[in-house]
Amino acid sequence: MQRRFPNKVLPYLLVSPSIVVVIIFLVIPTIQSLYMSFFRVSPFGDRLIFVKLYNFTKLFKSTDYVHSLLITLVFAAAVVALGITIGLLISVVLNQRLKGLNYYRTLFIWTYAISPAVAGTIWALMFDPSSGPIVYIIKTLFNVKLNWMMNGNLALVIVIIAASWKMLGYNIIFFLAGLQTIPEELLEAASIDGASSVRKFFKITLPLLSPTTFFLLIMNMLYAFFQVFGLIDIMTKGGPGNATEVLVYKLYRDGFINLDTGFASAQSVVLFVFVAILTALQFKYAERRVFYG
Amino acid sequence: MKKVLVFLFIVLLMTVALPKVTITLWHAMSGSRLPAVEAIVNGFNATHPDIEVVAQFTGSYAETLTKAIAAYRANDQPHIVQVYEVGLQTMLDSGAIVPVYELAGPDFDWGDVIGPILEYYSVNGKLYSMPFNSSTAILYYNKDIFKAAGLDPNKPPTTFSELYEYGRKIVESGAAPGGISFGWPAWVFEQMHAYHAQFYANNENGRKAKATEVYFNKDFGIDVMAEWMKWAQDKVLVYGGREYSANQAFLSSQVAMLIQSTSSVGSIESKANFNVGTTFLPRIEGYPRGNSVIGGATLWVMKGHTQKEYEAIWEFLQYVMKTEVTMQWHKSTGYFPATNSAVKALLDEGWFVEHPNHLTAFLQILSGTRVPEAQGVRLGNFVAIRDVVDSAIEEALQYTGTNYKKEAKRILDNAAKKANTILEEYTMIYGK
Repeated sequence: MQRRFPNKVLPYLLVSPSIVVVIIFLVIPTIQSLYMSFFRVSPFGDRLIFVKLYNFTKLFKSTDYVHSLLITLVFAAAVVALGITIGLLISVVLNQRLKGLNYYRTLFIWTYAISPAVAGTIWALMFDPSSGPIVYIIKTLFNVKLNWMMNGNLALVIVIIAASWKMLGYNIIFFLAGLQTIPEELLEAASIDGASSVRKFFKITLPLLSPTTFFLLIMNMLYAFFQVFGLIDIMTKGGPGNATEVLVYKLYRDGFINLDTGFASAQSVVLFVFVAILTALQFKYAERRVFYG
Repeated sequence: MKKVLVFLFIVLLMTVALPKVTITLWHAMSGSRLPAVEAIVNGFNATHPDIEVVAQFTGSYAETLTKAIAAYRANDQPHIVQVYEVGLQTMLDSGAIVPVYELAGPDFDWGDVIGPILEYYSVNGKLYSMPFNSSTAILYYNKDIFKAAGLDPNKPPTTFSELYEYGRKIVESGAAPGGISFGWPAWVFEQMHAYHAQFYANNENGRKAKATEVYFNKDFGIDVMAEWMKWAQDKVLVYGGREYSANQAFLSSQVAMLIQSTSSVGSIESKANFNVGTTFLPRIEGYPRGNSVIGGATLWVMKGHTQKEYEAIWEFLQYVMKTEVTMQWHKSTGYFPATNSAVKALLDEGWFVEHPNHLTAFLQILSGTRVPEAQGVRLGNFVAIRDVVDSAIEEALQYTGTNYKKEAKRILDNAAKKANTILEEYTMIYGK
C-alpha cells in the first residue's frame, strides 16, 4: 500500500530537520568523543597529546572501572527487574474496575513527572542517617540504625529502590495501555473454558503484553545505564567509597570534576559500544519470544 | 524650568558619554554565603556608577570551574571566576588567566594580606589570584552534650586520645548517639598532615617543583586513618558526607563534635539550639607541631578582555580587600577577613569579645608554627586526588575488622598509587 512521493526531493527535505538535529547533537559529538579518546587533554583544552590507546588500556587496567562496571550491571539488572515486575503488578491491579481508579492511576504515574533532582532529594532526606524518617521508623521498630553513608551495599540498595520508583510511573503507563488492548473476548472465552485467573494471566495477558514488556525492557535498561545521573548525583555522589559509582557517573566525575576529557571520552566510547551490544543481543534473543499478534 | 532641562540634558549626556563597563563574576557561594556576596557586589555598584559587576551563582566549586572552562573554550569567559584551592595548579598552568599581581602594579600593599593566606596562594612570592574566602578547619563542640555526659564544657579535647575518650563517654552515657563528625574529610586529612608538620607530597608539597609522589600513605597518614577507623567502629566517629552535610548531624545533636571549616561558624551559631564551643584541632601525641592550613577559594581574572575592563576588575578586587568590606564578609560568614587591618578593626570594635567563636580559627592559624609543611599543598589535578582520598576514607570507615593499621596501609597505598598516576598524567601534559 506504500505510495511513493511524486517528487524525489520533497521526502529528503521533510526529514532533513531531524537529520540535521541528529547530526549536530549525536553524530558529531560521537565522532568527537572517539577522536578525543586517543588524546590526553589539558583541562582548558589548550594542550592535546596523542597517546594512542593509553586511555583504553588505563580503563581496563583500572580496578575502579571494573568495579564500576560490575556495580552498573547489578544496578541495571535490579532496576529493570524491579521496575518491570512491580510496574506490571500495579498495572494489573489498576486495570480492574475499582472505585476512584483515576486517582490511584494519577498517584502511581506521577513519580515519572518528578525531576530527578527532586526525587533524589526526597529519598536522600527520607534516608538521612541523622534525621531521616525512614531511618527513625526502622530504628524504633527493629532497633537497627541505617547509615548508608557508612555502608556501601545499603547505599546501592537505596539508590536502586529510588531509581526503580522513579521509573515506575513510566512503566505503569505503558503496561496500562498494553493491558487495554487485550481483547475482552479472549479472556471471557478462557473464563468460560474454566481457566483460573492465574492461568489467564500467564497464558493470555502476559504473551499479549510481550511487545510492551520488550519495549519497556529496552527503555528501562537505557534508563538504568544513562539517565540515573541526576538521582545519584543528588543522593550519593557515587559514594560511599565507590559503592554507587555507576559507569555514567564515573564518566561525569572523570570528565567534568577531574577534567580528564580524554579518559572520559574513552569511557563514553566503551559505554556506547557496551550498550549497543546489549541492545543488539536483546533484539536477537528476547524479541523471539515477543508475540506481535 | 530651563535650568532643570539643561541639567537633565547634561546628565543624559554624561550617561551616554560614560557607558557602563560590565564585569561578570562567577562564584560558588550558596546558602547564607550568597547574600553576603550580593551585599559586596551591590555595595560596589552603588559606589561605582561607571562599573557594573554582575555576580552569578554557578553551582558548586567543581561546577563553577567546569563552566568557566567551557566558557573559555567557547571564548565567552567571565571576567572573574572563583576557584577553590585544589584548582590552584590547574589555573596556574591553564594559560587562561591574568595574574592579579600584574593588574595591581607596584603600589598595592600586599603586606597587609594575612600571612598564612598570602603564603598559601603565592607562587614565587607573587599572588596570581585574589584571596577572597579563606578558612581553616577548627573543632566545634556541643557544650550541652558535654555537660550531659559529665564532661567539663570548658575543657574540650586537645589530643586524639582525649577526643576518643570523650567520644566514648558521650556515646556510652547516651548524651548523643555519636561523638564526632567531619566536613570535607579529605581536607581534614590534609589538615592533619600540615598540623603535625608532615608533607603530603614530595618537592615540599609541590611548591618547589611539581609534585610527582604523594606521601599520605606514610606512617603518619596510616596512624591518622587507623585512629579514625577505630573511632568509627566504636561509634565515636560518624561519617557525615563529603562537604557540609555533617553540619546537619551536629546541629541536630546526633554528634557532640564536628571538625569543619571556620566558614560554617556563622550558620552553625545562628541555627544551633545549644551552646556552641569551638577550639583548636586535636593533635596526635608524638608528632611535631605544624599549623593548620588555608582552604577556601580565590578570585581569578581571566584572559581575553579589554584594558578598560581590566581596570574595572582591579577596582572591584581592591574594593573586596577594603577593610569594611572584608570585615563584613567575615562577620556574615566566618571566613577570614583578607587583611590584617581588618583583623585590627574587628578587634578594636570588640567583635571578638562578643563572638569568641569567630576568633578560634585566627588564634589557631596565627599561633601555629610556620613550617613549609603547613604552607599548603599544590598538586596537579588536586581535585581528582582529593576525590581519591575521599573514597579511601569512606572505604576505610566501613572496615569491620580489628587490624586497623594494616587495613589503613592497604587502603592508603592503593589510594597513593592512584594519586601518583594522576600526578604522572599531569606532568605528561604540562611537563615537570
